[in-house]
Amino acid sequence: MNAPLSSLRRPLPDGFLAALQTRCGAAVTTTQATLDHHGKDESWHGTAAPDVVVYPQSTQDVSDIVRLCASHCVPVIAFGAGTSLEGHVLAIQGGVCMDMTRMNRVCAIHVEDLDVTVEAGVTRKQLNRELHTSGLFFPIDPGADATLAGMAATRASGTNAVRYGTMRENVLGLTAVLADASIVTTGGRARKSSAGYDLTRLLVGSEGTLGIITELTVKLYPQPEAIAAAVCAFPSVDAAVRTVIQTIQIGVPIARCELLDALTIAAVNRHSKLSLREAPMLFCEFHGTKAGVAEQSKMVQDIAREHGGMDFEWATLQEERSRLWQARHDAYPACLQLRPGSRAVATDVCVPISRLAECIAATNEDIARASMPIALFGHVGDGNFHLVILVDPENSADLEEGQAVNTRVVMRALEMNGTCTGEHGIGFGKMDFLEMELGSALPAMRAIKRALDPQNILNPGKVVLPDEPCRMA
Amino acid sequence: MSTVIEASAIDFERQREVAAALRAFMPESSVMFEREDVQPYECDGLSAYRQIPMVVALAESEAQVQRILKVCHEKRVPVVARGAGTGLSGGALPLGNGVLLSLAKLMRILEIDTEARTARVQPGVRNLAISEAAAPYGLYYAPDPSSQIACTIGGNVAENSGGVHCLKYGLTVHNILKLRAVTIEGELLEIGSDGLDAAGYDVLAVMTGSEGMLAVITEVTVKLLPKPECAQVVMAAFDDVEKAGSAVANIIAAGIIPAGLEMMDQAATVAVEHFVHAGYPTDVAGILLCESDGTQEEVAEEVRRVEALMEHSGATLIRVSQTDSERLKFWAGRKAAFPAVGRISPDYYCMDGTIPRKRLAEVLRRIAELERKYGLRCANVFHAGDGNLHPLILYDANEPGELERTEAFGGEILELSIKVGGTITGEHGVGIEKVNHMCVQFRTAELELFHAVKRAFDEYGLLNPGKAVPTLHRCAEFGRKHVHVGQERFPDLPRF
Repeated sequence: MNAPLSSLRRPLPDGFLAALQTRCGAAVTTTQATLDHHGKDESWHGTAAPDVVVYPQSTQDVSDIVRLCASHCVPVIAFGAGTSLEGHVLAIQGGVCMDMTRMNRVCAIHVEDLDVTVEAGVTRKQLNRELHTSGLFFPIDPGADATLAGMAATRASGTNAVRYGTMRENVLGLTAVLADASIVTTGGRARKSSAGYDLTRLLVGSEGTLGIITELTVKLYPQPEAIAAAVCAFPSVDAAVRTVIQTIQIGVPIARCELLDALTIAAVNRHSKLSLREAPMLFCEFHGTKAGVAEQSKMVQDIAREHGGMDFEWATLQEERSRLWQARHDAYPACLQLRPGSRAVATDVCVPISRLAECIAATNEDIARASMPIALFGHVGDGNFHLVILVDPENSADLEEGQAVNTRVVMRALEMNGTCTGEHGIGFGKMDFLEMELGSALPAMRAIKRALDPQNILNPGKVVLPDEPCRMA
Repeated sequence: MSTVIEASAIDFERQREVAAALRAFMPESSVMFEREDVQPYECDGLSAYRQIPMVVALAESEAQVQRILKVCHEKRVPVVARGAGTGLSGGALPLGNGVLLSLAKLMRILEIDTEARTARVQPGVRNLAISEAAAPYGLYYAPDPSSQIACTIGGNVAENSGGVHCLKYGLTVHNILKLRAVTIEGELLEIGSDGLDAAGYDVLAVMTGSEGMLAVITEVTVKLLPKPECAQVVMAAFDDVEKAGSAVANIIAAGIIPAGLEMMDQAATVAVEHFVHAGYPTDVAGILLCESDGTQEEVAEEVRRVEALMEHSGATLIRVSQTDSERLKFWAGRKAAFPAVGRISPDYYCMDGTIPRKRLAEVLRRIAELERKYGLRCANVFHAGDGNLHPLILYDANEPGELERTEAFGGEILELSIKVGGTITGEHGVGIEKVNHMCVQFRTAELELFHAVKRAFDEYGLLNPGKAVPTLHRCAEFGRKHVHVGQERFPDLPRF
């Protein structure tokens, strides 16, 4: 496997495990199966197991564990649902994995203020279940049923981002434990604040390298009065993309707009037992008042027709809609089944919408030339799309080719002033790309990392700093 | 680290030395230090605080900004960046031992990309000038602080400015894609991406609202939005501000995100009506303005729903703008609120707290009590939709003791904001004005984190020292002083 073997991996210092057990008791485990489970994510990156897994139940627990780690120079990695795709949670230097899933309380729903405060381990589906009777919902929906703190830490997004934004726009404030074990509260429940630096957004997207998020307050939205979802088949990916671009450019406030290429549709049909036409498709959803939804959907249908799109097929019942979106969310595992035994190299580029058609057209040529199946789908309304490159993890030629395709797509996006990651984040899988993309901003990011975590104990070897040893304070 | 600003007498030898170093690569006329030349820069929109800068440098290019900062870094001279000087928290208050770096000459619109819907502009471009330049393409820049005819985009970024439309369209941080900025060492940073997402830490957000303390912004790429097909304003009058507050809550709870939702109390309404004749009733406790924008059908339907909700909440009068000129007239009143209040009182002190929306009525009641306690009038203007209060305390600086009472009144409003779960500044920034109140809003751990971020960019604390983030020492001092509310807050600053 391709687990990055860190030369910095070393045994836990004497007395550390005992001290941890004294503080946390039965919440500490060193069972090999548990360690392995916490040393991998859902990507092609291999396994790098931590030395110990601990399940904190409170912010104070997290702070005490971090203090112990800091005094012993032990790396500490926060772990939510383990569904990331760029090796974010791999314990490449060993150390402590802090599994946040037992901190799973929804603390306070503020219906009038349209926000909710949750503990780190609450998952997006759990939250929406608890909101069910309130008439409110939380829109951000990465494919997996991720934890809210994990979503914040990776600045996750989803099918709704075109309308509701990403975690960047939706986290109002958070509580986090810093590398020196101090507990900070950033932002608040106010809708806007210009007091001090924007620590909330600094921690959102920092992938556990600047602090460990233990609690967060996120925005909620009223359930729209009317929702309509439709699928529309196109003669080509290009026609579908151009429809999206035009929709965005004329300012239709579409709530969801997802492109799935013919191969993805085939995978989704098989995985979710649907019978969609195996052609490039847009999955669209409209939110608003009845009149607004009717008007928006007519506008998009007209644009689609101009580009050779077929008539919308409507999913009007809620069950039909849920099935459709579940199928879209399951596109990643569905694609994995196209080639049994495969793992995926997943790309996540995002380009300015004005360059999207050109970028996807060139990418389709890469797909045609590749020897393995490659599915293309994504949140095209944001200029963000994914390739799922199916590689045989045991076959080095295959892996190499898959990574070469990934590199080509990323380089193209960067040439178009885009980014190597629209939503999955950097982890360690994209650190080289980040360096190419950022240029002059990288030293600033490294300076921030060094200032906030001078010992380099928080998720070391990820995002901006190479694999550096812990420095005793 | 940054220290408390001292109104030090200018060291003339140092002044000559710094000016000469800058004139080595800048035209003589762009480096000023004679008192009559630098006097116009002695304060920003918060004119209660004044200080003559040691040297004023008018940068004409990004390269010049780099060289100016490099010189200042080498000579350890503090630098305060300034745009239009319209800020309301003293963020651009100069230093007697520092360089005031004006970016007002960097006022070119470099590019408008209609397909990507972005504009690339220099920092000295006025906020409104961007929308004017984009108008021929049917586009506009959404954040619209009331000072938009004068304030610059660089200043907007430094303060993370909002405006009446930010409820629906977001603050500056939501409406910019990329920045070019120069560090105190003179290094150029390119931050953000042309796409909607950028990789790595969100330095763009950290820079936005950093009040010139991390780097000097030299170029901004902003998002442009298509101009909505149409817009209408509902104006509703209430005989009780609490009813107006509940109307706000009811509108938001109904799932409507209006393009703007503003409230003015009677004092503000009367002042405005006499000034601009916007057509507001003057015999009511307060009015709400609620704008809908979008397509014809959407607007028509939303306006119908808003009208019903206003009526249900107890509005005594409801009017809907029938033409665009009428709509603009309704807004003209709101946008003129500050100057209107300026006409009826020799001085006014503008506050900027933010509170959770549902505490609005309660906070209003408490402000009314404070008016009685301090014997001062307070006109209230709110970005009601996002709970951002702008109480305007009316006072006369020539009356002995009034300024001090005003500041104590303002201090109590800020602490009230924090107590109900809000913040001390919604959009005007901390600057010099609210630096002590940061000690109330944040604890030591957060303040240390702010300082760590600051150190990562500006080791010697040369960029806008003494603003926005108090030292722990200063907070300890404030904690002691704070017991005696009403005593002077910045005895070390000259006042006029």
